[in-house]
Amino acid sequence: MLIFDELKKNDPQLRLVAMVLAAGLFILLAGLWWVQIVSAREYESHLETQSYRTVRIPAVRGKILDRNGRVLAENQPQYSLGLYLDDLRKQFDAAYGQSLARMRAVQEQRIAAQEKKLGRPLTKAERRQFALTPEEREQLHEQARFQVASDVVRQVSERLGQPLALNEATFDRHYDARRALPYPLLPNLNTAQIARFEEQYSGTLGVNLDLQAVRVYPDGTTAGHLLGYLQRDDSSKQGEDSYFNYYLPDYRGMVGIEGGFDAQLRGRAGAEAVLVNNLGYRQSKNILSPSEPGHNVVLTLDLDLQRAAEESLLAHRGADARAAIVVMDVRNGDVLAMVSSPALNPDYLSNDLTYLSDPKLRPQINRVTQENYAPGSIFKPIVGLAALEAGLDPNMTVDNPGYVYVGRRHITDLAPPGRYNLRRAIIFSSNTYFITVGLRAGIENVIRMSEKFHFGERTGLPTRQETAGIFPGLDQVQSAGWHDGDSANICFGQGEMAVTPLQMAVAYAAIANGGKVLWPRLVERIEPQDPAASEAPTVFPSGVVRSELDVHPRNLKILRDDMLAETEDPEGTGRAAQVPGLHICGKTGTAQVMNEHNQEIDRTTWFASFAPYENPRYAVVVMVESGTYGGPTCAPIAHDIYEEILKKANTDTPRTMAQTN
Amino acid sequence: MSATLLNQEHHERFDRLQLAALVGLMIIGTLFVYSATMANPVMASLPWYDQAWLRQLVWYALGFGAGAALCVLDYHTLARWSFVAYWVTIFFLIIVLVPHIGSMKFGARRWIDLGPFQFQPSEFAKLAFILALAHFLSRPADELRLPGNFWKGIGLLMLPFALTLKEPDLGSALVMLPTGLVMMFVAGTPKSYLLKLIGAVGLLAALFLVDVLFVPPGWWQISMEPYQRDRLLVYFGRDYRAFASANATPAELQRRRQQQLDDEYNVRQALISVGSGGLTGKGWRQGTQNALGYLPRAVAHNDFIFSVIAEQEGFVGSMLVLALYALVLFTGLRIAGQARDRLGRLVAVGVVTLIFSHVFINIGMNIRIMPVTGVPLPLLSYGGSSVLGSLIAVGLMQNVHIHRKGY
Repeated sequence: MLIFDELKKNDPQLRLVAMVLAAGLFILLAGLWWVQIVSAREYESHLETQSYRTVRIPAVRGKILDRNGRVLAENQPQYSLGLYLDDLRKQFDAAYGQSLARMRAVQEQRIAAQEKKLGRPLTKAERRQFALTPEEREQLHEQARFQVASDVVRQVSERLGQPLALNEATFDRHYDARRALPYPLLPNLNTAQIARFEEQYSGTLGVNLDLQAVRVYPDGTTAGHLLGYLQRDDSSKQGEDSYFNYYLPDYRGMVGIEGGFDAQLRGRAGAEAVLVNNLGYRQSKNILSPSEPGHNVVLTLDLDLQRAAEESLLAHRGADARAAIVVMDVRNGDVLAMVSSPALNPDYLSNDLTYLSDPKLRPQINRVTQENYAPGSIFKPIVGLAALEAGLDPNMTVDNPGYVYVGRRHITDLAPPGRYNLRRAIIFSSNTYFITVGLRAGIENVIRMSEKFHFGERTGLPTRQETAGIFPGLDQVQSAGWHDGDSANICFGQGEMAVTPLQMAVAYAAIANGGKVLWPRLVERIEPQDPAASEAPTVFPSGVVRSELDVHPRNLKILRDDMLAETEDPEGTGRAAQVPGLHICGKTGTAQVMNEHNQEIDRTTWFASFAPYENPRYAVVVMVESGTYGGPTCAPIAHDIYEEILKKANTDTPRTMAQTN
Repeated sequence: MSATLLNQEHHERFDRLQLAALVGLMIIGTLFVYSATMANPVMASLPWYDQAWLRQLVWYALGFGAGAALCVLDYHTLARWSFVAYWVTIFFLIIVLVPHIGSMKFGARRWIDLGPFQFQPSEFAKLAFILALAHFLSRPADELRLPGNFWKGIGLLMLPFALTLKEPDLGSALVMLPTGLVMMFVAGTPKSYLLKLIGAVGLLAALFLVDVLFVPPGWWQISMEPYQRDRLLVYFGRDYRAFASANATPAELQRRRQQQLDDEYNVRQALISVGSGGLTGKGWRQGTQNALGYLPRAVAHNDFIFSVIAEQEGFVGSMLVLALYALVLFTGLRIAGQARDRLGRLVAVGVVTLIFSHVFINIGMNIRIMPVTGVPLPLLSYGGSSVLGSLIAVGLMQNVHIHRKGY
């Protein structure tokens, strides 16, 4: 071979030269082998790093549905208009070229003027003073780009018939930081604009439509507090890559179901790779990993009951009523309706800011679970149950002169004077009777009974917007600071105690279902969005018993009968709740809110109930702040709700009534 | 009849193998200058007569013609005019340094602007120098023992070297050194002289590097253009900030760091280009480094053309290029071996060393085993003077081959 012939030559000098040449070529060969074969992967990755940008693509968020599959929260496509900078690059360069030429002409004029003034041609150094600095050049670039972009935007706005403005500062910022992504021109086009765009502008360089998903709540403010709301949060979530070059708009649930189940609802973001050139312009893109859509959350809520409750509240008390309603299935603890007024729009930005920060209305509070209220007379059945368990004879009467003294304290009784047995005391809601009976049974027994109902403890909601309420413990009532007056307060549901409407619903459900204190259930199941997916839904167990009341069934029956009388007796305080064709057991309550000088400043009115009497299924608790009395204020609302329940029972298929999960 | 046979001075006229390798290189050159320049939209939109690859073809044709023309004359004739040529090129090397005649580009005054094209004297100085030195060294070997002759030879080398260095064009100056040294070695200069010379040069180079790389400013520093210093710093991986003045502000240091990143950019992009080519490359015109502009457009088609080839044709392509050059070089050595006399031998060896130095420095620069020195790759880099020079050099070799020993 040629090379070896030269090396073997019998010519020592040329042989040496040949060897040096061969060695040199061999060094190059080895170097190339090292770079191109051994380190190829490393250089490939450098190439990718400098020329690929990753974009985080948020996944489609899961829907929130009621128990019958009706949509409470879903996503809709939103089209926005974007300006694609890579398409405009040639025009940017051309515009810059033009303005540079213009600047040069101006420069030449200035130089000519200076020369004329000095009467001699300028030296190189002097000429250099007229030259453009890099900053000035950069500014020319910026102006050229802005001019081209404004031109395009003007054309688009003419054709769309929509005024569009280009903000120079935001445009420059976008160019510097996110060049490879389209610049957002107009968000949320309506169908007319989309049609006009597609017709007139589609395919032309520089502008195109981008698709995004936006969260909508089709039912407006219905169940707003339970649903929660979303806030803008583009960052990577758990389970994804922690670093992307660009983040597309994404959201995070803050409170309610959106917040408590955010991890399941949001799915898993995907990644897209954009190839950029050395100037940062986008060349092409491809999907690295597709996004995984989030799961749907199916609530135990019944949309019909929820709507009915909200409408009734609105009709009776108006939009700025401060109130709460809970409808619960007593057999299994499913929350069928949860209403808190004033309403909160889950589309958070639709809420007026002054409205949100109103110190009296406080619409952000979910009054069903997040606020403490004195229960007032609706606590009396529980006192009664404690007394019955301690041996009270329901037929024993107590004389009520219209008031009672506890120590030196005078407590008025709104019930008319007379002799009261248990039934009568419940019908007329007599303070005297229950204070007497309660104190006789002993406050410890009342406390112990209340503890079985888990007053003063949270009900463990996944949405975590809960207060535990206030209830004295045994050690507190046995301590030196506890007086008979405090015990008396407990007996008619005031004083050192506070509950949430949900706790009352659980308590009344326990009375209704024969003594099982249940964990309330808000979410029925979490299922994949695609019905054909192989993944099985996660079902939350229903009817989970928290504790047993462990009382005589006879005593519960006594209470139930008495509460039935409360609504059905023509003198019963809860008679406004009556619905023909349905036997409702209920109890009204009117709790006073006192100031430091023991003067009444406000009232909390209640109506707690369950139905049907024969085979209880629904518990309805209505609470209205600043009402008059539980009877006239709250019972009518419960009436409307029971009407709706009855209507559903009569019109729906038996399947609905028989729904057990 | 046998007399005519005996008097025939050659069997075949040209060294076909070398010519074939040359044609191969020219084809590759055209293809990749096309690829490198077409990726740049500005250059791609030029009118057809301004397109780089077409101009490269024109230069190939012109150079080929010039080389062929040279072969008509016996190289002895050429050698007689070698000193004239030498002094003419020295003259041009001097006047290119004069401000209004030599045009300043990228901080160097290397070209004389002659309207539609530039003329680079250093390219032709290299060839004239080879001829002149060969002519000088072709005296009987014993005469070379005289120190006087040795120093004259050194002087012959130093003059164009110093002038080229002044432009400044470190790369072109640098390739003259090994050429001169090898020619002197092959001519039979006593080894002791050469070893002492190499020793001295090596010592100077070491001192030079130490001064450039380690001595902080303010101390005695060899004056160099800042960008040349920076290139050496980049090659040796020294931080620019070590060379800021003692009371430099943090902003100043930051600026220097940024400048270092910018300067390292070329080398880094070239390495990424070469490395990401892998075994078989990405395909002709599919080079993303080039197409996306990461390999700076200004250098992609000349000094860093090898990166373009390496990215697009991979290791296979690099080997092909190396093989073609090896063919040219070793056929040159064969020509040197078969040359009729010392003059021919020296001319051939000089040309071979010249081409080899260019190849080694340029490809080395692309894979970071040599600092960036702006040496073109013969026949592949875009540039009229470089192509002409390379083809004339090969023409000289062919000339020696044509007029070689007949037996």
